[in-house]
Amino acid sequence: MAKKKPLPRARKPKVKLTPRDKKTMARLTGLADRVVVAANGRRDPYVDIPSRTLSNIHYSPRKRILEMGSNKNRRQLFDLSQAKAYMRTMLVASGCKQLLDQGKSTSLRGLYYMLKHTIEGAKENTFDEQGECDTIIEDVEVLLNSIREELHLYAENRGALVGNITLRDRGDVIDCAHMGSGGYAIPSIVEPEIIELSRKKCDAKFILHVEKGTVWQRFNEDRFWETHNCILTHGAGQPPRGVRRLLHRMHHELKLPIYCVLDNDPWGYYIYSVLKQGSINLAFESQRMAIPEAKYLGLRSIDFDRCGLSDSVKIALNENDRKRARQIAKYPWFEKKRPWQSEIQRMLKNDFKLEVESLISKDISYVTEVYVPERLEAKDWLD
Amino acid sequence: MATAKRKKAPQKPAPAKKQASTASKTGTAPKRRTTAKAMAASQRDISVSEFFAKNRHLLGFDNPRKALLTTVKEAVDNSLDACEEAGILPRIWVHIEQTGADRYKVGIQDNGPGILKKQIPLIFGKLLYGSKFHRLRQSRGQQGIGISAAGMYGVQTTGKPVKIISKVSVRKPAHYYEIQIDTKINQPKILNGKGDGVDIEPGEKGAKYIEKHGIEWVDQPHGTRVTIELQAKFTRGRGSVGEYLEQTAIANPHVSLQYCDPDDFEYDYEATTDVLPREPKEIKPHPYGVEVGRLAAMVEEVEPMTIAEFLRTRFSRVTPAIAKRICETAKVSPRTKTGKVGRQESDALYQSIQKTKISNPSTDCICPIGEDLILKGLHHVVPAEFYVAATRPPSVYRGNPFQIEVGLAYGGTAPTQNITKELLLELLEETDARTIRQFLIHTFNGLGSDAADRIMKAGSLGTRQAPGKLKPKEIESLFTAMKNVNISDGQTMEVMRYANRVPLQFQQAACAVTQTVLATNWRSYGLGQSRGSLPRGPVSLMIHIASVWVPFTSESKEAIANYPEIQKEIRLALQAVGRKLGMYLRRRLKVKQQTDRREVFLRYLKEVSNAVSEINGTKQAELYDQLVKVAKKHTAEADMKLDDRGRPIEEKPEELNLGENVLIVDATSHSAAINRTSREEETGEDETE
Repeated sequence: MAKKKPLPRARKPKVKLTPRDKKTMARLTGLADRVVVAANGRRDPYVDIPSRTLSNIHYSPRKRILEMGSNKNRRQLFDLSQAKAYMRTMLVASGCKQLLDQGKSTSLRGLYYMLKHTIEGAKENTFDEQGECDTIIEDVEVLLNSIREELHLYAENRGALVGNITLRDRGDVIDCAHMGSGGYAIPSIVEPEIIELSRKKCDAKFILHVEKGTVWQRFNEDRFWETHNCILTHGAGQPPRGVRRLLHRMHHELKLPIYCVLDNDPWGYYIYSVLKQGSINLAFESQRMAIPEAKYLGLRSIDFDRCGLSDSVKIALNENDRKRARQIAKYPWFEKKRPWQSEIQRMLKNDFKLEVESLISKDISYVTEVYVPERLEAKDWLD
Repeated sequence: MATAKRKKAPQKPAPAKKQASTASKTGTAPKRRTTAKAMAASQRDISVSEFFAKNRHLLGFDNPRKALLTTVKEAVDNSLDACEEAGILPRIWVHIEQTGADRYKVGIQDNGPGILKKQIPLIFGKLLYGSKFHRLRQSRGQQGIGISAAGMYGVQTTGKPVKIISKVSVRKPAHYYEIQIDTKINQPKILNGKGDGVDIEPGEKGAKYIEKHGIEWVDQPHGTRVTIELQAKFTRGRGSVGEYLEQTAIANPHVSLQYCDPDDFEYDYEATTDVLPREPKEIKPHPYGVEVGRLAAMVEEVEPMTIAEFLRTRFSRVTPAIAKRICETAKVSPRTKTGKVGRQESDALYQSIQKTKISNPSTDCICPIGEDLILKGLHHVVPAEFYVAATRPPSVYRGNPFQIEVGLAYGGTAPTQNITKELLLELLEETDARTIRQFLIHTFNGLGSDAADRIMKAGSLGTRQAPGKLKPKEIESLFTAMKNVNISDGQTMEVMRYANRVPLQFQQAACAVTQTVLATNWRSYGLGQSRGSLPRGPVSLMIHIASVWVPFTSESKEAIANYPEIQKEIRLALQAVGRKLGMYLRRRLKVKQQTDRREVFLRYLKEVSNAVSEINGTKQAELYDQLVKVAKKHTAEADMKLDDRGRPIEEKPEELNLGENVLIVDATSHSAAINRTSREEETGEDETE
């Protein structure tokens, strides 16, 4: 293998740790110390990782977000099926320690390459695919109760922003009203140390979040954000953590309401659900990411009739869609809401789904000039 | 034998009858085609030999391939019977030589007692002449047809006479005959020595004569050699001579076999024991095993006596009291003379016999191979790592005592996978095989052509490449192919069936033995098995039924009939070996898991200790040592847990105590696994014999 060992350590002078890094470092060291203590006591050095499964998630009606339960999975070194996962957990922890030491951050893929090597005396790699590494990173996050940003890890930039707001990104002033056609790429880490928001620098009155880049382009080209004085974002499908966190911060720090324009299909409903309540996998971050006040503007299952769309824009539901829709209807946070129940039932009755782009069949700018303004005007949305 | 005779009787007049019936059917036309008188002219006796000459499939000469096997089989069976009866440890030479496109010369020699001069032509040149026909005793041959029929087949297909040379003792002359069967009259016709055969003097002079006339003979103080040239086809694999001899060697560990096939490959099966099987006792028939026709015939044949005396003296287990009871039930006076017993009385007697309770026949007339010798035989011939045998106590079906024995061999890794590069190079150098395929098949026992082909394909080697001319690169790819091809992949259980130590090679599906094997649930013994098929895995199973009268489904003696008593015994024996196999396999699996576990832990401990020392600066080596200690403790504990009886687990499956009749060996060093037949060694051995 090319890399036999992780980067040579202690070569470079250690940078000064921020208070936040110190906290993370203490947790990492604590983890390692427990291994030593267990080994000296001839015990299995296990770790208890909070379980990230549906069974360990519950919906808090008061906070209106998903929360993680107290179930934990024990990961043991001396268990045939867990030994490798345990080893990987320790590897990831040591990798993060190095990042902290050097005051650098790396992408998920970067860490994967940093830790990937052939195990001595075996034809086996520590990691074979990045996916294996990513899940372990999430494990370490919940295990140490430190989020990815605190471990100096980031994901690929995804999603974009444009609108009447000026922010500071690592000290650079970004005027989001002058971003051209590409917009401001939302970084993976948007914590206050990196991105500074200020109410004084924000004229926008609300945020419009759309599902994907193509729709976002439409709105940007029509300069929707200018005419309606808002911020326009998209999350390239399921919004990554960076987008969700930024939306959360803008919503809370700048007191901006959020409206979503998503496809009328189970996938669109689910994206809304994630934005609003949090996801199952990242329930431990709901507190920092979920926006219970987000509104669902469209598309609605009544839009086919309401807007008088042609038959050609229908996409038939498949069995998977129907199953998913019924599942979503049963989520506790949708279950009690009659408008949502009738919305989902209507889609099932229609037996077809609609993409936001389908509105183009009316007119290229129908969505920006008629559809969204009308909905906002009429305060016609689902909550 | 009785069945063979019965079947023949109605067949004899068959052609004439058929003619008559067709005549009468077409007789609706007013004009008669022939008269009874004219027909009578063509109605005449058919000799036994003529009948079998026409119906040779009844004796196993249906096709050239089977003809070769049957010839060898009949000769070897006769030789073994003769040697055992005389109390000589059998030594058999089989030599097959190709003489024409579809002609082979088969020579079989034994070290038996030899045959008296005047008997030789009769035994080899007359059908239905033998010593085993008229008695009820466990032996291989029963018919007295086999070898003479083989000779007849040879004469018919090639015109060459059967050559026999036999010697009774060192000092007496050997007798040499060249004979043919006169099929018309079922009599031998001697061709050499002006119809008298030739006597060959013992000593130098005789040896010279033998050499001069090209007579084939391995010098022995006594013994017989028969040479038959016949139209045949030589094959390998299933139903071949090679398979028959190999299976014979398994079930007869007291026999030494030397076999030289047409491609000049020599196979040598040395005896693994010098103890002859116990001599089987001859018994009288049990009343339950006698059919009504046979009973009537016996009554007719016997010298005058009372019926009670007849029952008492001619059958086993019939006491005076039982004889009396039979007669009473049949309403026949016990004092009736046998001469006066007619068909009706016989019938009544037969019925009453079925109703009367008669104790089972004594079973000491059966001589099984024995668990020890089965293990030895299997181990000698089949390369495997686990052997188990079970001999059931004797039992009885329809008044015939029988005994079931089962041996099982479970193979470890194939010999091709255990080979080292150096050994392969040596073997390639030694071999005289013409192609690599041949080299693989002949060198590695139990490989088979299928697996050889797969190895060739994996190594992308040409079929016709000579083993001596391989380039180093090709040797390398052959070596990796041998290592990587999983031979046992798709392998199913090999079932070897035996009746009185004779392998049964055909009609597997029709046989009670196979059916019972199929009906057994092998999954509970750790083997994979799909519904209605043989279990999978590198398993060889031998099943032996020993009986004074083996119930074959037909005269060709290829499949055993379905008697519930027999099936039950087979099932119990299979379960006995199956249980031990299951225990072994489970234990092996556990040991494998334990080893795996240790390896897995040890593999990761270094990584873990590295990572931890990276984080908090602990000394890596110290932590590693500590963790290894914990690992040892934990795996030890886990091992203990796995034992379901709360006993500490043995480290190796070889140390497993499965009771008696089990043999566990290290398969990698099995001597039968690799044939290292370099020619010089073999001839050297011959000289020392």
